[in-house]
Amino acid sequence: MTRLPDDMRQFILNARVVSNTAAQAGHYLMSLRLPPDFETPLPGQFVMIRLKDRKDMLLARPFSVSGFERDAQGGRIEILYRIAGRGTRLFSQLDSGQNLDIAGPLGRPFEIPPDLKSLILVSGGVGVAPLRYLLAGLQTQRAMCAPRIDFYMGAKTADELPDPDAMRSLCDELRICTDDCTMGHPGRVTEPLEKVLESYSPTDTLICACGPPGMIRRLSEILVRHPIPCQVSLEERMACGIGACLGCAVAVRGQNGERLYQRVCREGPVFHLRDILWE
Amino acid sequence: MGIAQKNIAPNLTVEIGGLTLKNPVMAASGTFGYGEEYAPYLDLNRLGAIVVKGLSLEPRRGNPPPRIMETPCGMLNAVGLQNIGVQAFIRDKLPFLRRFDLPVVANIYSESLDEFPSVARILSDATGVHALEVNISCPNVKKGGVAFGTDPGMAGEVTRRVKDVTNLPVIVKLTPNVTDIAAIAESVEAAGADALSLINTITGMSVDVERRAPHLKNITGGLSGPAIKPVALRMVWQVVNRVAIPVIGLGGILTAADALEFLIVGARAVQVGTANFVNPMAIPEIVAGIESYLERHEMAHVHELIGSLKTR
Repeated sequence: MTRLPDDMRQFILNARVVSNTAAQAGHYLMSLRLPPDFETPLPGQFVMIRLKDRKDMLLARPFSVSGFERDAQGGRIEILYRIAGRGTRLFSQLDSGQNLDIAGPLGRPFEIPPDLKSLILVSGGVGVAPLRYLLAGLQTQRAMCAPRIDFYMGAKTADELPDPDAMRSLCDELRICTDDCTMGHPGRVTEPLEKVLESYSPTDTLICACGPPGMIRRLSEILVRHPIPCQVSLEERMACGIGACLGCAVAVRGQNGERLYQRVCREGPVFHLRDILWE
Repeated sequence: MGIAQKNIAPNLTVEIGGLTLKNPVMAASGTFGYGEEYAPYLDLNRLGAIVVKGLSLEPRRGNPPPRIMETPCGMLNAVGLQNIGVQAFIRDKLPFLRRFDLPVVANIYSESLDEFPSVARILSDATGVHALEVNISCPNVKKGGVAFGTDPGMAGEVTRRVKDVTNLPVIVKLTPNVTDIAAIAESVEAAGADALSLINTITGMSVDVERRAPHLKNITGGLSGPAIKPVALRMVWQVVNRVAIPVIGLGGILTAADALEFLIVGARAVQVGTANFVNPMAIPEIVAGIESYLERHEMAHVHELIGSLKTR
């Protein structure tokens, strides 16, 4: 309808559903076909997805990128999501061939230093989504000098774990934890990590984590004693995804230790755990 | 009426209290940041004006999250007027906006009567601010937190105090959370306001029934989006019939058809808010839609449309 000047880019692009299947209990994996001008996302970045022309459900929903492939026709993105409300329930009912509005990739990605010896991934529930893409990226790009990767993957129950066998092949060690003792370590994902934390050197280890607030908070507590740098991908409700609505606030420590709010969509979604302030 | 030559584009220019806009579609305060967030996605020169995020004398960190919740055909927000403060705006944000052919309206906010003129004075001395929009929906802390905008006397007093210290056009933004918005509008007009904008958000609430807790940390928030459009339109209609100064209509405008409704009812211009969150191109698309409507109805100037409502 209206054309953009050359130095600008179209915010909303069209995504076509390739597949949308139940991946595990209450979780879906959606694969979307993207046009060629969709930029390749960096691990940790997110996209905003919206059902077309809906006034009743007005806002797009933010999702971490959990997979991406570039091909001759454009790109294909994978979104792993949990049914959390009305919006995600409607997404779960989409069939292949249907079209959606997509914007992105948005936000600040994980930053993996080049000379890292160990990378620890920690996920709780659907928090595995961005780590899955991070893991895939590390396999393809840095095979020569890749760090050791230990993945601590937690879920409420074994049925909610996303294909552990596929994950196991991508890392050096996979430790599974379930709250209800149906698989792996019985209990919180931070417990087995805490036991071996001191075997990692804080100078050449990085933790990348994504999961529910309780898990992130527990991580911040166990890292007080043994301060391994930790990057966390956070989630918050958003309206715009580009920093205008100020809806997705997270409390962080300012330069002088004061409490201030940053935007998950712009300063995040990946933050340094040490900067996060808790209630 | 009408234009003979179809190849002449209709004139969309409107004037608001001495400020000329190239088209009647402005970006509403709090939905467009300070412009730079949207600059990668649309040409800011195409906006009728930008009303920047509400500014207070000192920076405000805003409310704790969760701050927003989607509701049917709309959303609730309780951002808490987070902003960088008027000085940082002038120093860090205004230079960017000066690069565009774009009227900049500074929205101002205060919880005390004495602070409003201070903020207004600082902005009036800055280069590149073209008008002030006064948010009177905020609570008057000295009067027990009653919003300035809910009392005709207080609303008038704020208007007078701001008018006393500035030569810029003063737009007063009215809250819909009142019994008789036209009475507030008359009081604000009598106090010297150059224009009115309405409506601000409607106070609302949403509850998570599983947790039996409010969705917003602040418990209540401001409802915006298409859900409030009929209310906004009714209030604009009531106000344009009672005041002589220009009225800027806003509340739930998503499409050109929505904007046309407000203009037909009598709004001199409109503001687009929540729609920007959904589609950064909303404003240019609405401008294009108004233009093609005027062409289709053979109107040479948007003035022919404004206030053209036929009630019989």
